[in-house]
Amino acid sequence: MRQPWAWVIWLATVLVLLSITRNFLYLVIILLCVIFIRLALRKAGASLPGPFSLWKIAIWIITFATVFNALTSHYGATVLFTIPGNLPLLSGKVTLEAMVYGATNGLILVGMLASFMVLSLALPVRDLIGLIPGAFFPVAVVTSIAVTYLPTTLRQFQQIREAQAIRGHQMKTLRDWLPLLMPLLVGGLEHAMQLAEAMTARGFASTKSMFGGQRIRPRVFMLVGIVLLAAGWLVQLGRKPEGGIILIVVGAILIIAGLWQQGRQSHRTAYHRPGWEWEDILTVLITCCILAIFLFPFPGINRESLYYDPYPKLTVPQFAPVLGLAILGLLTPGLLVLNRKPAKGLAQES
Amino acid sequence: MRTRIFSVVIYLAATISGLLVLLYPFFLPAVSIQSGYSAFRAGEMPLMMTLLLGLCLLVLIIEAQGPLMNTKLVALLGVLVAINSALRFLETAIPGPGGFTPIFFLIILVGYVFGGRVGFLMGALTMFVSALVTGGVGPWLPGQMFTAGWVGMSALLVRPIVRIIKTKHVKPGASVNVPEIILLAILGLVWGFLYGAIMNLWQWPFIVGAQGQSWVAGLGFIETLQRYLAYYLITSLVWDTIAAIGNVLLILAFGIPTLKALRRFQLRFTFNYTPDDDSISPIHSEGIAR
Repeated sequence: MRQPWAWVIWLATVLVLLSITRNFLYLVIILLCVIFIRLALRKAGASLPGPFSLWKIAIWIITFATVFNALTSHYGATVLFTIPGNLPLLSGKVTLEAMVYGATNGLILVGMLASFMVLSLALPVRDLIGLIPGAFFPVAVVTSIAVTYLPTTLRQFQQIREAQAIRGHQMKTLRDWLPLLMPLLVGGLEHAMQLAEAMTARGFASTKSMFGGQRIRPRVFMLVGIVLLAAGWLVQLGRKPEGGIILIVVGAILIIAGLWQQGRQSHRTAYHRPGWEWEDILTVLITCCILAIFLFPFPGINRESLYYDPYPKLTVPQFAPVLGLAILGLLTPGLLVLNRKPAKGLAQES
Repeated sequence: MRTRIFSVVIYLAATISGLLVLLYPFFLPAVSIQSGYSAFRAGEMPLMMTLLLGLCLLVLIIEAQGPLMNTKLVALLGVLVAINSALRFLETAIPGPGGFTPIFFLIILVGYVFGGRVGFLMGALTMFVSALVTGGVGPWLPGQMFTAGWVGMSALLVRPIVRIIKTKHVKPGASVNVPEIILLAILGLVWGFLYGAIMNLWQWPFIVGAQGQSWVAGLGFIETLQRYLAYYLITSLVWDTIAAIGNVLLILAFGIPTLKALRRFQLRFTFNYTPDDDSISPIHSEGIAR
């Protein structure tokens, strides 16, 4: 799977599923699917993008959410123990239901975090930057400069630190960071000056179409869109949520139309544009089917099982096998990654 | 002038819409009581909130990137964002105490020196780039970008106060560095708490089903605010106090030399090239800052 949009659609599906159910049975299956894909990607050779460990963060989030909710929410019928005294917010009964509610919240957050980690693992940063729409051309350029310059900045920081250490500089107080920070900042700004001159010399931003100027029509679209969005948001909280949703959709369409018009002015080229392979199309089709099953009231599917509340007394949540099987469709990209044949050259080498 | 007014209207509309989306737990109770809308769709709200906040953010970014962009600003922002993201990367790898983070110091100073638009982009893009490189992309990102953008944009508010101090209380030719830095430190202090308080709103109605400090549909504004304050005191006050103190210390310790460096480069970055020959193509002058 090389198509970034296929991954984005997969991610959006995971987020929608995590958002519409509070049944921990479904949440656990979603989380396991996401973890499976993460492991599949790592097995396929994707490197970790950052310093985070999913396991550590997951344990921390679920533990914190469970303990916090158990200590502060005193609802529920199954009392585990009671905190005596008059401690504000804490004193009272600690219930099993509150723990389950907290753990469910933790599971949702971990699911979201893990799914975004999968996206970061599946797509290189340049592909993520490539997803930035044409309307944001200047921002995309700034982002790609920043991403490119970041390793250099870290290297410079290390060099400055070593140079200062050789001179006997010691880090004792906050002010001792100044001899490290200022050369980094001034060096960076000098580099920006040279970069700007090089870009100007190569004719960057030398045509009006490059930055698009400030055309009025797309901006009017966006202004009206924003106003409709705010109005729709307020309306959907009130008496007629359907009307509000319609306003929000119209507002979003207007904003997207404005962005599209703005984006048409910038011409973007790519050395290699990832195409749509059968694996990408299959993933998109399956995720769309999952979304349809979860969002539309098909006969024979127990949608009640999506809405689970452990309060007031903990019960075993309902489970619809069709929904459970549908969730397993999220495994598609992972299975495809595992079944991917190695490139010819690499196969011969190994 | 008309374009400028139009621009301000877009800024205001996007900012107010973003605020309405973020602050819905406070005004929702009144609306839901009127409508008898007790079974609130708690599951859908965070996703919807993220989408709407994302759209408001897109409009703000497109407005901010428009008139200011030229090669110098693109390069300047790219490098400053890289430096700030490197600081966040280091902070992620070697966590400081509590909510201490070195990134707001530079966002505030850049917003103050280069203006609200650059400040907004600096804040928003710092969050975006550092999330890309640390794998921290998530549904919280639009909220982080929005709020960090406001941090940079709000630094502009210090300028008129400094101007008043300069004209009324400082002798001609004397330096205003000290009151300037104190004001920026106060801004850093305020944002240390405010950033945490705003970011909590993304999850507050969603994460906790607790009594006393959790969000419950159907309560009045005052009680909701009391509950939020209780939640904030329990979960975030210590964390955010460390963040606020960190901002103040960084601005006091590094503010003056950083401002000097930024101003020196601001002069170099904003030079005007005025050709003698009127026949020069306007196309070729676009890459030069005005």
